[in-house]
Amino acid sequence: MRLQFVLAEIGSGLRRNLSMVVSVILVTFVSLTFVGAAGMLQLQINQMKGYWYDKVQVAIFLCSDGSTAAGCATGPATPEQQDNLGKLLESPAVAQYVNDFQFESKDDAYKHFKEQFSNSPIVDSVTPDQLPASFRINMKDPEKYQIISETFSSQAGVETVIDQRQLLERLFSVMNAASLVAVSVAGVMIVCAILLIATTIRLSAFSRRRETGIMRLVGASKVVIQLPFILEGVIAAVIGAALASATLWAVAHFFLGGYLSQQYPDTAFISAAQTLILAPALIGLGVLLAGVSSLLTLRRYLRV
Amino acid sequence: MIRFENVTKVYDQKARPALDSINLEIDRGEFAFLVGASGSGKSTFLRLVLKEDRASSGAVYVAGQNVANISSWRVPRLRRGIGVVFQDFRLLPQKTVFANVAFAMQVIGKSRSVIRDTVPEVLKTVGLEGKENRLPHELSGGEQQRVAIARAVVNRPGILLADEPTGNLDPTTSMGIMGVLDKINQNGTTVVMATHDDDIVNEMRKRVVELRNGVIIRDEAKALYTSMIPIVGQSRRLRDASGREPEPAAVPAAGTGADARAAGEGQL
Repeated sequence: MRLQFVLAEIGSGLRRNLSMVVSVILVTFVSLTFVGAAGMLQLQINQMKGYWYDKVQVAIFLCSDGSTAAGCATGPATPEQQDNLGKLLESPAVAQYVNDFQFESKDDAYKHFKEQFSNSPIVDSVTPDQLPASFRINMKDPEKYQIISETFSSQAGVETVIDQRQLLERLFSVMNAASLVAVSVAGVMIVCAILLIATTIRLSAFSRRRETGIMRLVGASKVVIQLPFILEGVIAAVIGAALASATLWAVAHFFLGGYLSQQYPDTAFISAAQTLILAPALIGLGVLLAGVSSLLTLRRYLRV
Repeated sequence: MIRFENVTKVYDQKARPALDSINLEIDRGEFAFLVGASGSGKSTFLRLVLKEDRASSGAVYVAGQNVANISSWRVPRLRRGIGVVFQDFRLLPQKTVFANVAFAMQVIGKSRSVIRDTVPEVLKTVGLEGKENRLPHELSGGEQQRVAIARAVVNRPGILLADEPTGNLDPTTSMGIMGVLDKINQNGTTVVMATHDDDIVNEMRKRVVELRNGVIIRDEAKALYTSMIPIVGQSRRLRDASGREPEPAAVPAAGTGADARAAGEGQL
């Protein structure tokens, strides 16, 4: 009976306060979408780390015709220098860090280049001679890049040693910055949501002060009087959180899974299913927001 | 049933107390009028009984329990034992008569079958059979007050507090309401009624407790709204003579019926 009564009270409260409830839903929706977006970016970063860190290589570029580096003063790398580098890679001092390595000749490099930029007119103006030959090294431990770099940078015929991971790190730092921005926007929106929930509950308590006054007089317990108000805010916040989760799922499904993965087929994007693990967190956050702000409001405006 | 021991209530340190060292006992099953001008402390008295406010000093006992010792989460239980009726009825306008009375049972978790049985019975007690499905605005003022009384007593409280229940009603209707309150009193409920209505007090001939400026200046059994002698000047003189403390013989503070009557007759 009491439960039924509380539910009926919630229903009438939501109906009476519809416009405020809708605004609470929207504000929590937007704020939690930003929170979720930050979460999604972090998921994406982890995903890419897992995917790329196995594949990234350290590349030792050999001197070619146009090289201006100090080590290339003697002109393009000779076949001897190339052999020396190969031997050095196989030597025990270096081999313990190396999983395996391949040599990529100028022609191989040209072939890869053509594949990679097949849509671009730049392909027509590039010849195999302009591209450097390179050793591609798969490291046992990508963190040990420094050792390879120190060993090979000073070798004759080496133009430069590049850790592809550093390219990724740059991308990740951009993504991290983006998720920070998302979190700060979310922070502002969450403050809005808390204040709006507080205002809504105040209005709701005011419009029902007659009922609550009578409830107090006839000795209704604190729970029966306050629960409908708290649950009103919680329900609105949960709806907002559910909308936010659905939006994130849709973004992952249609934008990442559809559009972006077609544009960048070799990039590992998070799947739509993965975004669903954010949903419970968002809903939990919504409940917490509404619960805390309504408790604080009721303490001031609905004494029992 | 209700006992005030040396109760003082101060709202504002600079102003005079709303209640000043009140000693009063109202027994189980008694019917007492609380009379006095606006600001004399009647409403404060009722609020203290309900634990809407805390006494600044002294102790308020309701049903043998010091309300100061009731923790906040048990205050609802205290209030279930007290029905309250107001001048402005305070009905819920969208609810029918039945639903208004049932509301008081719903919110404390009474089962639907109990509500179905009890509400018509109580409506009959207050003389509203056949009007269960009316809305408050379809009723006369007197009928609305009967609904409010039904709501106040539907949970069978031991005490009924009425704060000027006839303030908005004409004399004939008021007498009808008094009949209802008297009937409830005869069923064993202690009734405390604050009022300005001299006709009613004179008609009922119940105990009268008169407050002025937070002090009990008269407590008589089967009394009239005003005593025969001009008590205004006398009490002022008494207070001037002995500070705030009224003289017990002239103004019996916590008089039992006999004491009060004796004192009242003494004044006569």
